[in-house]
Amino acid sequence: MKKKIIWVIDDDIIYQTIINKLIQKMEVFSNYSSFMNGKDAIISLTNKLEEDSNNLPDIILLDINMPVMDGWEFIEEIKKIKSKIKKHIQIYIVSSSIAIEDKDKSKTYAEIMGYIPKPISVNDLISIVSNDNN
Amino acid sequence: MNSKKKWPNFISWFLERPKKTGYILSLILNVLVILICFQRYHMLKEDQESEMNAVSEKIYGNIEQSIKNCQATLVLLAFTINDNGIPQNFDKVSKELIKTNPIISALQVDPGGIIKYIYPMQGNEEALNLNILDSKYHKKAIYNSIKTKKIYFAGPLKLKQGGMGILGWLPVYKDNKFWGFTTAIIKLENLLKASESNLIDSTKYEFLFSNIHPKTNQEEFYFSTRKKIKDTNYISKKIPNSNWTIYLIEKNRADIYLPILIFGTLGLIVSILVGLLTMRLLNTPEKLNLLLKDQETKLLKNELKFKTIFEQATIGFAIIDACTNNFREANNKYCAMLEYTFEEIKEKGIANLTHPDDIESSLLNLKNLEEGKVREYSSEKRYITKSGKTIWVNLNVSPLWENHEKPTTYIAFIKDITQKKESEALIEKSQSQFKSLIDTIDGIVWEYNIETSSSTFISKKVEDILGYTAEEYIENPTFWEDHIYSEDREFALRMSTIVNKKYTNHDYEYRMVTKKGKIIWIRDIVNFVYENGKAVMSRGIMIDITVMKEAEKDLSNSFHLVSEQNKRLLNFSYIISHNLRSHTSNIESIISLIDNTDSEEERNEMMKLLKSVSNSLNETMNHLNEVVNINTNISLVIEPLNLSQYINKVKEVLSEQIKLSEATFIIEVGETNLVNYNSAYLESILYNLISNAIRYKHPERKPIITIKLYKKRNKDVIEISDNGIGIDLEKNSDKIFGMYKTFSNNPDARGIGLFITKNQIDSMGGTITAESTPNIGTTFKIYTK
Repeated sequence: MKKKIIWVIDDDIIYQTIINKLIQKMEVFSNYSSFMNGKDAIISLTNKLEEDSNNLPDIILLDINMPVMDGWEFIEEIKKIKSKIKKHIQIYIVSSSIAIEDKDKSKTYAEIMGYIPKPISVNDLISIVSNDNN
Repeated sequence: MNSKKKWPNFISWFLERPKKTGYILSLILNVLVILICFQRYHMLKEDQESEMNAVSEKIYGNIEQSIKNCQATLVLLAFTINDNGIPQNFDKVSKELIKTNPIISALQVDPGGIIKYIYPMQGNEEALNLNILDSKYHKKAIYNSIKTKKIYFAGPLKLKQGGMGILGWLPVYKDNKFWGFTTAIIKLENLLKASESNLIDSTKYEFLFSNIHPKTNQEEFYFSTRKKIKDTNYISKKIPNSNWTIYLIEKNRADIYLPILIFGTLGLIVSILVGLLTMRLLNTPEKLNLLLKDQETKLLKNELKFKTIFEQATIGFAIIDACTNNFREANNKYCAMLEYTFEEIKEKGIANLTHPDDIESSLLNLKNLEEGKVREYSSEKRYITKSGKTIWVNLNVSPLWENHEKPTTYIAFIKDITQKKESEALIEKSQSQFKSLIDTIDGIVWEYNIETSSSTFISKKVEDILGYTAEEYIENPTFWEDHIYSEDREFALRMSTIVNKKYTNHDYEYRMVTKKGKIIWIRDIVNFVYENGKAVMSRGIMIDITVMKEAEKDLSNSFHLVSEQNKRLLNFSYIISHNLRSHTSNIESIISLIDNTDSEEERNEMMKLLKSVSNSLNETMNHLNEVVNINTNISLVIEPLNLSQYINKVKEVLSEQIKLSEATFIIEVGETNLVNYNSAYLESILYNLISNAIRYKHPERKPIITIKLYKKRNKDVIEISDNGIGIDLEKNSDKIFGMYKTFSNNPDARGIGLFITKNQIDSMGGTITAESTPNIGTTFKIYTK
């Protein structure tokens, strides 16, 4: 099984640390990148498209509340460059918000594969990876 | 009474029969004419006869007188004869005697019947010596005269001396022995002259003198050719001592009676004409008469009808004397209404029948009528019946005299309207009930006539609501428009019936100005009344909804407040859900990692993380606590604060940062620079905004912070602007004042300053706005309450 490239976009450093630990333990991911906000991620994605399109992420775990560019704005940006992306990127919202509005809003985007409330568990990551394989 | 009735009948009998009347009238006139003629005739005849008698009497008298005179003369002559038988002084005496008795033309003395003395002798010589006794014709008469010793007149005969004459022989006796005669010769003409028969009206009468011939015994007429008298009208008188008869014959009778005849004839013609004329005259009115009769019949019928109506009518009639006010007549209904008999009514009189409260007005009405001030009148009044019941009647009184005439009687009609009155009273009662009901409605009930564009009803409530009386409202045709609050007038007029011709039931709200100048809110519910598919009236209620409006305003304010609070609460719950959960989820994950690791090193690492999470959680809890405090602090002290003082205070606190960033301030707060605010909040707000301006300064320029204080719409405005990096408000307008919303990667940005600032301003009842252009700067405006 080919190892996956995973991006985590979240401004919470503690969360970043935790998810890093989990990913390391899982050993199914070949590459792990983290971003503090959507803008950083989208810049990185655009760069990758132009220079290193083979290393585009398979999975993105996206937080909603972030400074500069939040999760929703990131999705809007993705939609703009979607045609250029040859790879199918699975985007999951991972938020501490359990507000139903956020969950409902996530369903309006075809790009979003699912909504996972924090804390994310190892099992959540396993099912995400198996989903991607299918 | 009877004859009076018969008399016109009698006349009308004639009037109806013109032909008969004509005949009868003409007949009566004829008879009258004839009667008059007869009377005239008789009168004339009597006159004639008496005249004739008088004339004949006169003639006769004259003749008789002449004869007597003659006899006296002869007697005197006889006395002249002396014993010797010689008449003494015969000539002289005779001359004297003839002189005194001039009708005698000659005197003779005839002793022994032989004519011996004659005076005058001249012309009579032939008679001398003639023997009278030898007279052929007179022998018998002369002897008779001698025997009877009475004078005898003979003749008329032809006188020897000429002419006709009569002879008067007076036998003279001597010693009772016939001696002779004294004779007088009288000329017939003279006798007749003396008789004055020549003086009679020869046109009327004819005088005749006749003598029975002594020999033939035949009557001979003198001075006439008649042999016999055939006439019927004559008077005859025999002259005594002679055979003479005098006749007075009426002549020309026809002439005398001609006027009578003419009168009679004319009278007859006239009477016939009168008859005919009467017939004609009566014939002409016959048609009229027929018409009259027809009308009479009609009149009679009408009278009967009237009588029937009078008696049978459902309306009470009474005829009343205008002077005494006594009842003359009253019909059954009138009596029945009052329950009295006519006699009782008559006895009681108007005043006693009338309800005491109505007497005065009744008498006044009658007085006006009597004085001619009114020609008739009608009124509603009350009577008291026999059983003591009060009845209402509609009374109509009309006088039965002409305007210029003296008052006689008047006719009064009464109609029982007790029931009507009762129902009227009921209606009035229910109307007043409705009215009081309407007046209890807590709104101005109104009615408006669309056709006349006028208010027809306004309920009393108008006094409570607008302070004006209903009269003031109705009298002024533009009252409603005039009292609408100026700002709402156009709208209200557009909605009202005056302008809006759709005529569909609706309701709307507007403001009106009361008498005291207060502005009140009115909710007007309008309904239309249709007649034959056309809106004729509008009705409605104007309800004072000022209290409701105020409540609504309060409610709206409250709603605004509540929704603001709700929004904040939602935000707060979101904060809790997101910010607290982010910590708890981290804690959960860390604990799970600790549980699943065997490495001591990793466990220590996780414990460090847990500590950091704990710190973050604590910080978040402090922030939330602060926010909760702001929102629950309801008894904030608000006082006038010197703005520049507070600015300086904040500048002192931030002096390090100001120094580092080389920020400059432009302060335009005016002289008074007082603002009503809570001291702690004002300091906190100024701190947050000024520190933000410095923190988000543009990297290429030194920060310039401008602070202004001014008034806008009666509100104090504190304006703080900078020349910093700015925020893209197009993207972030809903987030700028949110908790933990940060817009840069500045490590100092915690997303809490503006959140707290907003909460503080909100709790003061004010607002904050933000205008920003990226790379130019940001301006915040704080509005006080």
